[in-house]
Amino acid sequence: MKELRLVVQKFDPFSDAAPRLVEYAVPRREGMTVLDALLYARDYVDHSIGLRFSCRQASCGSCGMKINGRPRLACYTQVDELGAEKVVAQPLDNFAIIKDLVTDLGSFFQRHREVTPRLVRDDAQEQDHPTGEYLMKPEELSRVLQFTYCIKCGLCTSSCPTVATDERFPGPQALAQAYRYTADVRDQGGAERMAELDGTHGIWRCHFAGSCSYVCPKGVDPALGIQLLKRHVMSGRPPHSKDDATKVWKPAEKQQ
Amino acid sequence: MSSGAEGKAKNRRGLSGWLNPYHYNFERWAYVFQRVTGVAILAYVIGHLGDTSFFVGGPTGTGPSESSWTFISGLVENSFGHLILILVVLVVIFHGANGIRLIVSELGLILGRPSPIEYPYRPKSLRSVQRVLIWVAIALALVGTGWAVLILFGGSI
Ligand code: SF4
Ligand code: FES
Repeated sequence: MKELRLVVQKFDPFSDAAPRLVEYAVPRREGMTVLDALLYARDYVDHSIGLRFSCRQASCGSCGMKINGRPRLACYTQVDELGAEKVVAQPLDNFAIIKDLVTDLGSFFQRHREVTPRLVRDDAQEQDHPTGEYLMKPEELSRVLQFTYCIKCGLCTSSCPTVATDERFPGPQALAQAYRYTADVRDQGGAERMAELDGTHGIWRCHFAGSCSYVCPKGVDPALGIQLLKRHVMSGRPPHSKDDATKVWKPAEKQQ
Repeated sequence: MSSGAEGKAKNRRGLSGWLNPYHYNFERWAYVFQRVTGVAILAYVIGHLGDTSFFVGGPTGTGPSESSWTFISGLVENSFGHLILILVVLVVIFHGANGIRLIVSELGLILGRPSPIEYPYRPKSLRSVQRVLIWVAIALALVGTGWAVLILFGGSI
């Protein structure tokens, strides 16, 4: 059977002075993902490989790592598609390393929370005790749909050259979500959200290197979202005004 | 568990994170080139200010003189000086043209609109007009450089 050379960057911050690369021989088979290879190595060769995964189907976003130099999901990357004899797995850049391939996404999730990633509405009463629905037209949905697919895997943020040098930059994931909610016709919180982000360490720190969109496994295109936010700020026109946000639609029997 | 926070290695990439476009997209290469040429142009402009002011005032402030003119032109009027000037032309044209592409892109104008995604997926913003404009910037820079070579090494004009 053909063998795959799997190289893993190992590093335990508690006991190791510096990261080191360790090579494992893994039997190669068709359709094998990098996660499969890593699990083989961990189960049969070296139990100490630090590794995080859950869904194995590009849904949970926990297996993000740098594979042959580029951030990817291990479960969504087939060994064959890499077209290489050797697969090198390293932890994602720009996140603290907990152990080996496991990075700390805590501050990344915090950045996400800071852009108020939910629909902000004036009608709090309606939110707590719904009497109807907020409807969207298909074209309104398609303005935000691709941005809703984000699984918070961190690949985009680890690829971003601004994140590499500016700790206060929210990163492409958070900014794409700021766009996702601000452009949502049901949302009324755009002005507050943008007041936070229209600053030195906000959207203007993005210089459109586009790597976030290049590595995103879910088709989110964060770079597009960030430039659209800039467009709204520059034109002075938010995607919609507070008053234009969707009103509650009530079914006929509740309308009287 | 509680001591974990101190034990984590930071791994923020710093300068090498933005300087190294290897493994990434075309726009990332343009981004690095834009920043590096920006610094190079700044260095050139400072040097250029130095040499022109040297000609105008001279280090002793005596005003334009034949000797200061001869000195400055002696620095530039040779193959090495010409090579530097040609590089300046290359870099300035690329930086300018690519800068215009970036300004327009950052206004969200040439990136396409958000749309339902289809697989195999390629991000819209990276296959829009803006990508063509990188090639246009490169082409303009090459044409300008060719022209500069003709002027400086062609023997005419
Ligand atoms: S935008 Fe894409 S790459 Fe970034 S966290 Fe979301 S799914 Fe991952
Ligand atoms: S294991 Fe869930 S995304 Fe890879």
